[in-house]
Amino acid sequence: MDYYLFIARSITQAQHMAHVLANCGIRAAVLRTPASLSERGCSHAVKIRADKLSAARSCLDRAQLQPLHIYYQDANGYNEVSV
Amino acid sequence: MIYFDAGATTLEKPEAVRHAMARAVATMSSPGRGTYPASRQAEETAYQCRSEAAELFGMDSPENVIFTGNATQGLNVAIKTLVKPGSRVIISGYEHNAVTRPLHAIPNVRMTVVDTPPFQPGQMAADFAEALRQGADAVICNHVSNVFGCIQPVDEIAELCRRHRVPLIVDASQSAGVLPVRMDEWQAAFIAMPGHKGLYGPQGTGLLLCNHDTRTLMEGGTGSLSRQQQMPEDLPDRLEAGTHNMPGIAGLLEGIRFVRRRGVDKICRQEQQLTAYAARRLELIDGVKLFTDGEFINQTGVLSFLAANRDCEEVGERLAQRGIAVRAGLQCAPLAHRTVGTLKSGTIRFSASVFNTMSQVDRFAAELQDVIRENVKM
Repeated sequence: MDYYLFIARSITQAQHMAHVLANCGIRAAVLRTPASLSERGCSHAVKIRADKLSAARSCLDRAQLQPLHIYYQDANGYNEVSV
Repeated sequence: MIYFDAGATTLEKPEAVRHAMARAVATMSSPGRGTYPASRQAEETAYQCRSEAAELFGMDSPENVIFTGNATQGLNVAIKTLVKPGSRVIISGYEHNAVTRPLHAIPNVRMTVVDTPPFQPGQMAADFAEALRQGADAVICNHVSNVFGCIQPVDEIAELCRRHRVPLIVDASQSAGVLPVRMDEWQAAFIAMPGHKGLYGPQGTGLLLCNHDTRTLMEGGTGSLSRQQQMPEDLPDRLEAGTHNMPGIAGLLEGIRFVRRRGVDKICRQEQQLTAYAARRLELIDGVKLFTDGEFINQTGVLSFLAANRDCEEVGERLAQRGIAVRAGLQCAPLAHRTVGTLKSGTIRFSASVFNTMSQVDRFAAELQDVIRENVKM
């Protein structure tokens, strides 16, 4: 299964995103961002299934929540996509 | 002991607050620092507390609800963000030392004090309008005086500040949980409050509601962006350096839930009824001078009085010996006393919570009467 990681500005923003996504019917898990993706060190992210990207972005846009970065995760690792 | 010092802190808390704190001590570690259950539980509790506070106080986003140790810390952040050396600041004549001392510590602040007599909100609003004609860098106003219980016209003052584009700091120490406190309506820059008074949380908690850029009061670890040596730019982390007081936050969450379940309007009516009853009992005692408008429309559950030219601290001490807790002296608000003319004498302050009863007021009045009589006999 492939995923997207929405990197948050704080754990609180990650939680906020997860709650908003849940209200949109999208399962989202809050996790610590992999160290290789934390250029400034230590952050939190929200993980969603890859097929939910478009719906998740619309949902977060409506709530005026913008992640710092978005990464696509597959078996080969992570690739940043445009926010 | 019959406790009538809710204005300092509410002593009796809902049972759920105590249980939540005990549970937190046993099960919660530091939020955001780990991926194990104890950290996750702390994270979820902290988020729930921010969310419920955001709903109660009309905040768009839980991220802008900051945990502090008390209202004083929040006020320091707000004041030191907005007020620079030489700034012009307008304050009400009822501000607590948590406002006046930080202002005093900033060099060359030009302060205009709106010292309208108490219980005259219409006049106070007009006086603020007049003061704002000269312009200001910030306005600071408490919602309710901690000494006299007078409700300040913050709705009108907020509207004036919006019109003049002057940032407003509201000290909601005596009104959070008792009166409507709404950022969405006031659009203040900051609203500061303790968790341990009208929100029935434990001491060591407070909230700062932010609607403005912020300057840090303290720098340190936030569990985020750790390689970066500047504090994070985004709230809440920017203002929350160090380990959180999770037992306090867990307790505060239950206190906020208690307030929301009861209803702020109902809490206010109950406290006003108790205090109005206390005023009626006290005015029958010879020599007691009350500071009240008599109708409790512009006053909450706080009532100051003087007793028969007795030293207020002596009366407070004698009442404490008889099992009645009130607060005597200047209540950390000499400015309020200067405005009303009680700076030399101080006052005795009665302040009620939802856990007080009419029969406790009866006992208080009876004990006060005895204290006054015993001095007369001497």
